[in-house]
Amino acid sequence: MGLFDSILGRTKIKQPARDRLFAMSTAYITLETSMGLKHRNAAGIVFQPLANADFASIVKDTDELLRSAAQDTGTTVESSDDEYGYSWIVLRDSDFEDLVVSLNVVSSNLEGGGYGDRLLCAVFSFESNGKPLYFIYNFKRGSYYPFVPTGEKSQDVEEALRLKAGIGGELPMEQELDRWFPLWEIPL
Amino acid sequence: MLLTMFLLGALYVVFIGVLLAAGAGVVTMVVVIGALSLAQLFFSDKLAMSAMGAKIVTPEQAPGLHAMIERLCIQADLPKPRIAVADTDMPNAFAMGRSQKNAVVCATTGIMNILEPHELEGVMAHELTHVKNRDVMVMTLASFFASIAAMITQFGFFFGGGFGGGDDDEGPGFAVVLLVSFAVYVISFFLMLALSRYREYGADRGAAIITGRPSALASALMKLSGAMQRVPDQDLRQASGMNAFFIVPTSVKNSAKTLFMTHPPMEARIARLQQYEAQLQGTTAAAA
Repeated sequence: MGLFDSILGRTKIKQPARDRLFAMSTAYITLETSMGLKHRNAAGIVFQPLANADFASIVKDTDELLRSAAQDTGTTVESSDDEYGYSWIVLRDSDFEDLVVSLNVVSSNLEGGGYGDRLLCAVFSFESNGKPLYFIYNFKRGSYYPFVPTGEKSQDVEEALRLKAGIGGELPMEQELDRWFPLWEIPL
Repeated sequence: MLLTMFLLGALYVVFIGVLLAAGAGVVTMVVVIGALSLAQLFFSDKLAMSAMGAKIVTPEQAPGLHAMIERLCIQADLPKPRIAVADTDMPNAFAMGRSQKNAVVCATTGIMNILEPHELEGVMAHELTHVKNRDVMVMTLASFFASIAAMITQFGFFFGGGFGGGDDDEGPGFAVVLLVSFAVYVISFFLMLALSRYREYGADRGAAIITGRPSALASALMKLSGAMQRVPDQDLRQASGMNAFFIVPTSVKNSAKTLFMTHPPMEARIARLQQYEAQLQGTTAAAA
């Protein structure tokens, strides 16, 4: 949003930056080989559902598309709503690249229907020594950041900073730490 | 909006011209008021918070509120503001801070008790839109010249008796400057109120866009407008100085006199939110 819009009080929501989502489809190899992480065969996408028929039908179509594609790729699809009123589509597949492609199907379908601004983030699930950690892709910013939950509402920021330093230039990382928003109760 | 800002600007140009014609002392005065406005800009958040008895809360103290605001921040593409809670039954919320990086968003325990989570989300999105639109900065700048005018008016009354009929080389008489200042003050006062009402509509619209649920905010406003009138007068007066950034003005009496209000009438705000909801239901694009 430009200064002019802000002076006039016109709120606009950024359209998603989908292109950089694909950075993960190569970066996960670095994460696994040089940083000792393991991907947990799961990724999710979270968006804000709108209460109108058009939006509901797009979500339904997307869900059906994913489920029919799943017969070839073996990806399983789950949808759920969380207690904050946001919707999740959770995908599970041992082939990491299939996960990224499926996430892109969801985001491009929403965007195609004119609802790209409702996309919040995509989440990739990893583990390090058996402990879960996540890489969150912020669609508005077009950048990734790590999130290491340690309890219901607590996180390990030190570990997250270490992950950021370790991955270097492989992923477009969020540089401003005040944008590293936690995402509690990730259903994957 | 553009017309309002244009009128404000035009008024100040004329005003400054007259001041310059009047001569000495003006520069000093502008510097003093400039410093005061800067102080206002830098300390308004602390002032508002201490007046409300609000305290910054950590994610551990208010996990639900933090998580809700974090998600709204992702959606609105804002850095996370500091979050404060005021322990009072008066249901209200406000945003303060000179920039997006220095913002504070405050909710009272009253508003958190009265509203459902999705309604509170609408209110918080309204406050975050104030932050996103830099409304504190806009209103401070707008009030800068108005306060100059007010101060000169006061100076005029103060010195008017003592120095009446002084030097001959004063240019236009002090009485003229005084009159003009007073007129400027009165007019800018009403223009500022108009500006404030416009910013409120802007924040409502932003909240509708950020949450995608205009009706949730409308329902919150309806609840609050009912609840506000039940609150004892003492609380209202205590907080009346900070009306501009509250979600609901603390005094809703004489709502017919729109010209004198910092906030648009509740019915008008709800009507606009219903329009956004209609747009949302009727078209493929989000309310634009």
